[in-house]
Amino acid sequence: MSGRRVAMKAVDWLAFGERVPPNQRAMFNALKTRSDALSSRLTSLSEKPPSIDWVYYRKVVMKAGMVDEFEKKYNAVTIPEPIDTQVEKINAQEQEADKSAKSYIQASKDRISKYEKELTKFKNMIPFDQMTIEDLNDAFPETKLDKEKYPFWPHKPISEL
Amino acid sequence: MLSRVVLASAGALKTSAPITASFLPVSKSFHISCQSWTPVPPLPEEGGKVRHGLFPEEFFQFLYPKTGVTGPYMFGLGLSTYLLSKEIYVINHETFSAISIGIVILYAVKKFGKNVAEFADKLNEAKVQKAQEVKDLAMSSLQEAIEAEKKEQWRTEGRVHLFDAKRNNVAMILETNYRERLHMVYNEVKKRLDYQVGLQHLQRRLAQEHMVNWVEKSVIQSITPQQEKESIAKCISDLKGLAKTAQAKV
Repeated sequence: MSGRRVAMKAVDWLAFGERVPPNQRAMFNALKTRSDALSSRLTSLSEKPPSIDWVYYRKVVMKAGMVDEFEKKYNAVTIPEPIDTQVEKINAQEQEADKSAKSYIQASKDRISKYEKELTKFKNMIPFDQMTIEDLNDAFPETKLDKEKYPFWPHKPISEL
Repeated sequence: MLSRVVLASAGALKTSAPITASFLPVSKSFHISCQSWTPVPPLPEEGGKVRHGLFPEEFFQFLYPKTGVTGPYMFGLGLSTYLLSKEIYVINHETFSAISIGIVILYAVKKFGKNVAEFADKLNEAKVQKAQEVKDLAMSSLQEAIEAEKKEQWRTEGRVHLFDAKRNNVAMILETNYRERLHMVYNEVKKRLDYQVGLQHLQRRLAQEHMVNWVEKSVIQSITPQQEKESIAKCISDLKGLAKTAQAKV
């Protein structure tokens, strides 16, 4: 990804900050301060340096040809653009993050469907004053008394009374 | 309600192979051909209406068309007269103990019946309340869990911003680097040119001062002693003249 003006997408820090969970707040703040420092450093440097007044120097400097030589070399110099080594890594990270997010969302949806199933079961239950003990054992299996294991009343260990 | 208990216990006894002293789980084993799994309707609030605590109201209503209001009472009177006179019911000691015990029981029920009923109802109410709380808690926690899951899903959308921010940072660093290089080149060239200019100015100044000093020195040297005396005398006469005029002014 070369090219001097890499298009910088405006990051919506507000929306980003809303979605940060509380246990990652510190990392988010560190990232934000770093980004702000970088952007302030960037804006402090002008895009092009001011131009050198060759006419004045040609008039004043008495060494023969020095100014001409400097001017020629100055205009000829090209500064290499810095090479970008990190963007591929970032893109790879993004792909992985997308994948893991998708799988997480899938698992989350499964959990939600499970919860909703239980919620409907609770909603459709008959009210307690219309239940028999059978109905109670059907609705809440943990209330069922184990008559094989504890054949004598109260059908559960005394400590659980 | 009683019938349900009978149903339960009878069914239990029927399904247990060796009849044990315990009650086994209920199964609807009577009326197998027309069973229905609809829930049992709720219990009525009040029991059947009775008159004088013993005799169902339906009996009085049954006799009302034929014999009016006093019919059942006459029936009762006649029945008791018949039983007593024919000695079908014999009056003995037991009768009096039955009467006294009956009075005591009547008094006790009239005085404490309501309280005992309320207490029993409260116990039942507490059980139902506990179960209801469990159910409500379960439902609310499920709702909250669903909300939390949805929130977490919403949170994952933030990863787009994270990677944008990272890429922006990298771009900013690169751009800053490039600009710094440009500025460095400019500064270095300007420094060298300014050095030359400064050097020239310095040299010119030095030459000027040296020349001035040299001229002064040569002028001073060229002043002969004769000229010096003459100039001093002239200065003194000038000063005198000035002093006179100054005194006059004052």
